[in-house]
Amino acid sequence: MNNIALGRYMPLNSSVHRMDPRAKILILLLLMIAIFIPAGVFGYVAIGLFILFSLMISKLKISYALRAMKPIFWMMIFLLVVNVLVIKTGTPWIQWGWFTVYSDAIYQTLYIVVRLMFMIVLTTILTATTKPLDLTLGIEKLLKPFEKIGVPAHIIAMMISIALRFIPTLIEETQRIMNAQASRGVDFENGGLKEKVFSILSLIVPLFVSSFDRAEQLANAMEARGYDPNKKRTRYKVLKMTGLDIVGMTGSICILGICIFICITKIGM
Amino acid sequence: MAIEINHLEHVYNTDTPFEHKALHGIDLSIPEGKVTAIIGQTGSGKSTLVQHLNGLLIPSAGSLDICGFHIQPLLKIKDVKQLRKEVGLVFQFPEYQLFEETIEKDIAFGPKNFGETEENANELVRKILPMVGLDESYLQRSPFELSGGQKRRVAIAGILVLNPKVLVLDEPTAGLDPQGAKEMMSLFMELNQVQKKTILLVSHDMEHVMRYCDHVVVLDHGKVLQESDVKTFFEHPEWMMEVGINPPAIVRLKVMLKEKGFVIPDEILNEEELIQCIKGQVMIHE
Repeated sequence: MNNIALGRYMPLNSSVHRMDPRAKILILLLLMIAIFIPAGVFGYVAIGLFILFSLMISKLKISYALRAMKPIFWMMIFLLVVNVLVIKTGTPWIQWGWFTVYSDAIYQTLYIVVRLMFMIVLTTILTATTKPLDLTLGIEKLLKPFEKIGVPAHIIAMMISIALRFIPTLIEETQRIMNAQASRGVDFENGGLKEKVFSILSLIVPLFVSSFDRAEQLANAMEARGYDPNKKRTRYKVLKMTGLDIVGMTGSICILGICIFICITKIGM
Repeated sequence: MAIEINHLEHVYNTDTPFEHKALHGIDLSIPEGKVTAIIGQTGSGKSTLVQHLNGLLIPSAGSLDICGFHIQPLLKIKDVKQLRKEVGLVFQFPEYQLFEETIEKDIAFGPKNFGETEENANELVRKILPMVGLDESYLQRSPFELSGGQKRRVAIAGILVLNPKVLVLDEPTAGLDPQGAKEMMSLFMELNQVQKKTILLVSHDMEHVMRYCDHVVVLDHGKVLQESDVKTFFEHPEWMMEVGINPPAIVRLKVMLKEKGFVIPDEILNEEELIQCIKGQVMIHE
């Protein structure tokens, strides 16, 4: 339970950690768009360098980012197999009886894998360097302009922050119930499908019961303190953009610009 | 056969920034057939220690011998599964582990996991229910419609039904009213005296420790701070206050009486004897 790497905040002290969450979300958004623009090798190198640089100044270990990629490893293998079987264009590279591997199949797989890797590393950097509450505050502020067209920015942010707040609690609760059931002889690791289903059931039911309890208690506690989602509230923490935020956003806008430029003009492809 | 713990260490989240050493070399010998209290402040490592006793946690270093099992680092769950039948672990607020549609099924869940047949398991359930103060009319009811105290009884029955030799109880009376707590404790004492079960009690309630336990272990920051029999332990209240343990009312009363000039022997630990002692001194004075 404790080795879930993806999306966990890492309490380090780096300049990336101190950045404005709004800037970090915007950079992520801009780079995501850039990743999906077909801009050839040059575009990917530019994005890759930017990611590498952010990873370095964020003081996160490379191994941490790599570990976040573990879940998609099998997907990569699957993609490779499907592409090799389906794509029959480009120059043939390997010939083995009736079976031929074409260059386009390999390129196509590489592109998809690189895109996925970039996206995962980027989101990992964001969530590892930003406290969940700062993240929701950033989302709320960024959604603010859309309130005029009826997007309930504050309610969305509150929902996200409550959900995030209860993730560690639920993990803890899950661990506790697993321990309690394991003490009654449940084996969560071994056993056939039928035992597996039954052991999961002994975990899910108590988890649901206590989650509903908790939700009700939280709602009561919030109401008792006069919480009203439609009232205007002030903030203790005021977000402020600083030098690195501007540099990061300018950098990612430049990269997006370059990618669009390459895509339209086809220079260097 | 006592429970022997040798240089037990446990590290959580090894090799991550969240790495945390919860136990720093515990050496303990827990006597068989006795009631042993484990006390200590939050974060002292009580829960971590207790989870080693039935193999939920495997030590990072050191070893322990319990019920014929030798637990050492790198063991697999398969190797310790049978230990969980020998050592029953009742967690804090055990009512959260209930999940079945009927109380009968829920209590029978444990025995079935350890390979009992449906009939045998149901037979065991019928035997265990009266022990926790519930009758057979409860069998077909849903555990979720019971009161808090009753839910806890059902959950504890779910462990007792496995007939463990060692019973580990983590704050079994937390959140119960005084009457319920007293009934719960007398149930455990009966198991200790009649069935000779070894009991480990994790508790914050010094009154319970003084009244029910034979042996006391104090943990602090993952180390054993003190280990002694209960009488010696409560004879030195000054020491207790130094480490932030609130002594039982009678011990506090003794300290106050001593400050006022009464002479009270250390070994007096019950109300009757204390009253006699004070009476004697007051009479002499008059």
